[in-house]
Amino acid sequence: MKKALVVLLLVGLVVTLGLSKTTVQFWHAMGGWRIDLLNDMASQFMELYPDIEVEVQYTGSYQETLNKLITSVQSGTAPHVIQVFEIGTQKLIDGQVALPIQDLIDEDTEFDIGNFLPQVLNYYRVDGKLYSMPFNSSNPVLYYNKTMFAEAGLDPNKPPRTFQELIEMSRALSKKDSNGNIVQAGITWNLHSWFLEEYNALQSALMVNNNNGRTGRATEAIFNNEASLRFLKLWNDMSKEGLMLNTKREDWTAARQMFMSQKVAMLISSTSDVAIMVDAQTNGFEASTAFLPRPEGAPAGGVAIGGGSLWLIDGHSKAETNAAWTFMKWMADTDQQVRWHFETGYFPVRKDSLEVLMNSGMYAEEPALLGSIFQLLLSEQNYASNGAVIGAYPEMRNIIETAIERMLNGEMTPEQALAWAEKESTIAIQEYNELYQ
Amino acid sequence: MRKFLPYLLLIPTFLVIILFIYWPAADSFRMSLYKVSPFGNRMIYTGLGNFQKVFSSAEYRKAVLFTTLYVPVTVLLTIFISFFLALLLNQNVPGTRFYRTFIFAPYAVSPAIAGTLWTFLLNPVVGHVNYFFMAVFGTQVEWLTTKPYALIALFFASVWKMMPFDIIFYIAGLQSVPDELMESATLDGAGVLKKMWRIQFPMVSPITFYLVIMNIIVAMFSSFAIIDVMTKGGPGGYTTTMMYRLYLDAFAFQKTGPASAQSVIMFGLMAIITVIYFVFGERRVHYR
Repeated sequence: MKKALVVLLLVGLVVTLGLSKTTVQFWHAMGGWRIDLLNDMASQFMELYPDIEVEVQYTGSYQETLNKLITSVQSGTAPHVIQVFEIGTQKLIDGQVALPIQDLIDEDTEFDIGNFLPQVLNYYRVDGKLYSMPFNSSNPVLYYNKTMFAEAGLDPNKPPRTFQELIEMSRALSKKDSNGNIVQAGITWNLHSWFLEEYNALQSALMVNNNNGRTGRATEAIFNNEASLRFLKLWNDMSKEGLMLNTKREDWTAARQMFMSQKVAMLISSTSDVAIMVDAQTNGFEASTAFLPRPEGAPAGGVAIGGGSLWLIDGHSKAETNAAWTFMKWMADTDQQVRWHFETGYFPVRKDSLEVLMNSGMYAEEPALLGSIFQLLLSEQNYASNGAVIGAYPEMRNIIETAIERMLNGEMTPEQALAWAEKESTIAIQEYNELYQ
Repeated sequence: MRKFLPYLLLIPTFLVIILFIYWPAADSFRMSLYKVSPFGNRMIYTGLGNFQKVFSSAEYRKAVLFTTLYVPVTVLLTIFISFFLALLLNQNVPGTRFYRTFIFAPYAVSPAIAGTLWTFLLNPVVGHVNYFFMAVFGTQVEWLTTKPYALIALFFASVWKMMPFDIIFYIAGLQSVPDELMESATLDGAGVLKKMWRIQFPMVSPITFYLVIMNIIVAMFSSFAIIDVMTKGGPGGYTTTMMYRLYLDAFAFQKTGPASAQSVIMFGLMAIITVIYFVFGERRVHYR
């Protein structure tokens, strides 16, 4: 009896091995409710492709996910598909661990890259080659509280369009108590280098040389320019006057919290927050989105995208790589991008997804959602708005944020902060580059 | 057989220690001499180049200076406050057991969660501490983003986190101080303070000796989580300790070489502190 059971088990094992599915491991950095969302999307995919098994793993923040990738590559246990933040692009290219998806696109006759938004492709294309699959993209947008605007006697349909207007409206929106404590302020954005980068793009100014690292490896930081200075001066002046509240470094939640609790009337944050921000019923106030206010007389530009993309890690069998490619394509396909947009707020990276959304009448009902994508679509496309490609990007961000903190604490003037940050960033960039000379 | 059995039984432990502690430690010594690319596909031998770069970096020197402020202050505060609290908890007042349990609670909380708790409490918009300050003094303080408040908040949280461990040890130590000794001191006319400093503190000196070195290690190496959650080393690098700098270089910037060099520096520093402490500190310890 026992023997029969063992034989049966063995036979069963052999049979299942023969029919075994191709397994694709997918690591991502999307926390919270998005873990369930991605799991659900993966199971939907598996129903459509029964011979592919997708193992979805949430691996912590973008930074932790990148570190896990590094460890797994060195120990030979790398996943097939991994989500990496936009500023990790150069590091992954230099690490030579991924298959540029351009190679797979060239072989795949069914796949049409022309359906993707050029604004997104331009970011992930380095030296004319697309390295990773666009997936979750966002850009900064101005959120404003219409209810507070009306209370302050401002026109709720006229958000600030210039720095000057931003300052004047913030003055109207700010309140202090008898002790000089700020009860209500005009605006906030979290203390993040991203906003300085975006304000460079918005004024067609470059962060690093060699056209933002897009016509050759960047060797020097060049963001100590007029564009950065205008923005940092605004930041400094508004903070000193109490028109703007600041958060801890990269504290998105704190900035959102100030806006939601109506401590500030305006917020610059990622478009990926749009759904919760403009939910009037839950928040108890009406809000909408607008383009970022711009300095007067600065050259026109656009916003650069932020977010993440999907990378195909090399070193797996042909069958597994093909399965991973199928999965990636599916994740970036029309319907998935529409769903992703609805449930997260990241905008769709495809033109046909936008078309579906437009036809559904959603943009007519939710003008705030239109505002968040419109700004990107109207962006000037140049090296500045395509975003910088830098190996030492995370380090440069840390330096810029340190400089901004020193400026806000009165240790440095905006000019000094920029000069210091530029000098330190150049050192970091060159130190990184020494590895690849 | 009897000779080999102990060794045999020790093998699993040693395997784990060697695999997860000694080998990585040795590897970091080796890596400190190289410039390593993030994915490890490029390794350039630089000799002592990493050390040179680390020492010539103004930011690293700032981190060293901050560490020499942060570690002694937190350790001293923790030791003295713990001793006082242990004295109080050693009194026979109703509910002592209850207080002991509650005072020990922070030790059971992970540093990251402790940092999050303090971040909530110190939140400028919805934090309880600012609510209290507003109600009592009518002022608001940006605890985590301005000088010197970020430092004060960090001291507070670190001491709060390290204290329970010390208190437990001190309570145990104080309970073993013989009652006759205290009684005869009382009969000789010694006051409370005198008894405390002349009898109880010297009697628990072996414990203090142990706690100081343990606290130094915690403050040097485990302070990272609290700093990362509360201040991220800011504002402007103000609360960046050597450990936090190491974390940034290793895990935020993937600069394995310089990070290894920093860990070697910290290893050396800790070795020196320990040796000096044991040579000079042990003389003052009173063993029974």
